[in-house]
Amino acid sequence: MKQAGSSDIFSIKNKLFRLKRDSNRWSIITLCVVFLIALPVLTIAFKLFNGPGESWTHIVKNLLGDYVSNSFYLLVVCSFLVFVFGVTTAWLVARYEFPFRKQLEWLLILPLAIPSYIVAYAYAGVFDYGGSLEVIQRFFGMEFTRVDVMNRFGLAFVLSISLFPYVYVSTRAFFLNQANNLLEASRMLGVGEIRTFFKLILPLARPAIVAGLILVLMEVLNDYGAAQYFGVNTFTTGIFRSWFSLEEPETAIYLSALLLLLVFSIILFEKWQRRKMQYSSGKTNNQSIYRKITNKRKQFLIFCIVITPVLFGFFIPVAQLIYWAVLTYSSVFHYEFLLLSVQTFSIAFITAAVTVILATLLIFSSRWNRIGFIKNLSKLGVLGYAIPGAVVAIGIMIPTLAIDRWLMDLIEKISGQSFGFIIHGTLFALVYAYAVRFLAVAYNPIESTTLKVSNAIPDASKTLGVGNFKTFFKIEYPLIKTGMLSAFILVFVDVLKELPLTLILKPFQVNTLAVKAFEYASDERVMEAAIPSLFIIFTAAIPVVFLNKLLVSK
Amino acid sequence: MTKHILIVLMALVLFSCKNETKNEDNSQESKEISQEINVYTHRHYEADQELFKRFEEQTGIKVNVINASADELIQKMTLEGDKSPADVLITVDAGRLHRAKTSGLLQPISSMILDSIIPSHLMDTDKNWFALTKRARVIAYAKDRIKPEDLSTYQDLTDVKWNNKILIRSSSNIYNQSLLASIIANEGEEKAKQWAESLVANMARSPKGNDRDQVKAVAAGEGDLAIVNTYYIGMLTNSENPEERKVAESIGIFFPNQETTGTHVNVSGAGVAKYAPNKDNAVKFIEFLVSEEAQEVFALSNFEYPVNSNVKVSETLKKWGSFTEDKLNLSLLGENNKKAVILFDEAGWK
Repeated sequence: MKQAGSSDIFSIKNKLFRLKRDSNRWSIITLCVVFLIALPVLTIAFKLFNGPGESWTHIVKNLLGDYVSNSFYLLVVCSFLVFVFGVTTAWLVARYEFPFRKQLEWLLILPLAIPSYIVAYAYAGVFDYGGSLEVIQRFFGMEFTRVDVMNRFGLAFVLSISLFPYVYVSTRAFFLNQANNLLEASRMLGVGEIRTFFKLILPLARPAIVAGLILVLMEVLNDYGAAQYFGVNTFTTGIFRSWFSLEEPETAIYLSALLLLLVFSIILFEKWQRRKMQYSSGKTNNQSIYRKITNKRKQFLIFCIVITPVLFGFFIPVAQLIYWAVLTYSSVFHYEFLLLSVQTFSIAFITAAVTVILATLLIFSSRWNRIGFIKNLSKLGVLGYAIPGAVVAIGIMIPTLAIDRWLMDLIEKISGQSFGFIIHGTLFALVYAYAVRFLAVAYNPIESTTLKVSNAIPDASKTLGVGNFKTFFKIEYPLIKTGMLSAFILVFVDVLKELPLTLILKPFQVNTLAVKAFEYASDERVMEAAIPSLFIIFTAAIPVVFLNKLLVSK
Repeated sequence: MTKHILIVLMALVLFSCKNETKNEDNSQESKEISQEINVYTHRHYEADQELFKRFEEQTGIKVNVINASADELIQKMTLEGDKSPADVLITVDAGRLHRAKTSGLLQPISSMILDSIIPSHLMDTDKNWFALTKRARVIAYAKDRIKPEDLSTYQDLTDVKWNNKILIRSSSNIYNQSLLASIIANEGEEKAKQWAESLVANMARSPKGNDRDQVKAVAAGEGDLAIVNTYYIGMLTNSENPEERKVAESIGIFFPNQETTGTHVNVSGAGVAKYAPNKDNAVKFIEFLVSEEAQEVFALSNFEYPVNSNVKVSETLKKWGSFTEDKLNLSLLGENNKKAVILFDEAGWK
């Protein structure tokens, strides 16, 4: 007994010793960033101890089955559609030369710029009674064939078509960077094009595809506007129902926790599936991909395939929006929109920069730290994306208000005067909230590019006495730049269209285009929402086009 | 290590000094422009912005606005507590005003002006909130298929003759919740539950879309009747889209329950926040919003019924005729809201 006790003490001592030996400032920085980002999530998790509200049994009995089956259906159908749209387009664009390739490269990102609930409204507008399709068919003297899009499949389609760019962006970054030498090797061994793709490229692109797919699935689970409009009850509509209609925030938090569990198990399942695989490549390949030029007929075929998702995800909804904008132009348009665009643009730009830096810091500081559990802890940073924005807002408000209250009391005591909140209700809190919410959007594409950077070169550099920072800027940064740019674009576009956080946390004088669009749409003035929505799309198009140039050029 | 702590401490001291000076600057500034008012509002119409501007011009009080859904604003006010900058809360239904009141976010206001203009059933029993405008929940029917003589009450819609004919949106919509809450208040929970269940059985399709979509579906023949808000039909009638105007022309408006309780109405209303830093301005502001001048703007530009009886309704609403409204005190809608939601779920009303 005695012996066993002393060996326990010994092992604890040993562990402590190792902890002390292995801890460095990167461990502390990782912990700080994780804490900052996870604080709102933890605040919400802490609320779980209060137990669910009294309607919990009512929800389990009458509603939960519906929520689970609908959410599950959306996850499966959206995964499939997004995979097909995202990976095929990424591959064709990266591998082949065909007409309008350069334009399509960035057009494929733009569906992301339209808030999915607006896409939902636009599709309803096309297929509705008296909708665009009916008008067009009537014009050609045809019988009106009504397609009902307002159902589960319609919702899955609308969400997939507006979210597939996540997969497209991250997968293409991989193809552009890595595929060339693999292709050459495969071709030299006499393997055909299609077989190479399925046997070699696709398995290797897996981390990149999954990175995008996880973002899509989180966003799908998170959607409120489109699901609500189409009358499909999901976890998130349930969260809003129990929070606002049943007046039980505790129950809403319980449902969010279930949702979080679902997301977490998806991530873990994927990690477990590829547990033993290592994805770093020995070579650093900066040579741009060699594009195949095929015959005219094939080129036309490829063009048709690539333009299909752009047509459904961008041109059709935008055409509908333009039609509405023309109808409502005189009553809605105001020069104020230009000002609003500038304001929204700057907020999105700042947030994207902050978020990308935070994500990179998190990834690398956890890499440079040597304590295993801190490495795992750094994964917690991405959870903010899985929770509905409105719930994140509460997680932000509780701690920031606590700090503010403390500061206000302190200042009142010292100076005898009181004044307003310092953090809450300022731009600072808003950007912080965005960073919490969108860290995953930046984290995943950057992480998937770092996975391919072999440790050998940075390690060699450090053996030669070059510090972490210098090594990062000299060696790693050029290699992961594509990932960082992709991350920047995604966060930027996401912030442009973000709604619930902005609504709750924005300062008095600040307004965004998304809020403006929502003001109209929530009042059933969907047509009037077209002009601010188009402004969102144009504002998003500027950096998308520009950054895409940086991304593809060497 | 101690060196680090010292640096941190010094930084903290410096930071707090900086804050103090900033604080003094701020308070001096705020004295100069203390004439302001912070409004948390769910209403985001041009008419409202126009009215805020007029109020600023007439009184010199600057109106700061935060627009969000009422639920989120209530949540925000709750968390901000006694430090909340909010002076006035405006929502588009009585239920949420009642919720704000029971959460202790509003305060009673005694104002001769408000008492004299607003009918007593359109304000809180403890004068925590006051209605600004009204919307009626009516039946829109297909003129070519249905005779208005066949229509009578909300209750009659549960009759088997309307099987597969009724269109109505999801039960997550507050106006449906308020309607059921009014039935609970008027007839009791048991009857209300039966009503919800039988209405679900008569639905032409599973609930989806908004009020405008229900009316469009009636026009297209998917059903014969839609239960909708007058406010949205007003917008449909005056839509910029010719297709939508055509839809509006093909339907008629029926005010139910004229012989019994009266047609169910909901309101948009305002209350003064409990911790309002500018309470006097807030009261002045609400008084202004129910004045004839402001009510005219509401009535003419927004297809709502004014609460000020001296003000005429808009041309669109006039065509539908006058009606008797349910005089149930609107506080009861809030009190029964949660019960209504649970009944909806049990009845399988999506």
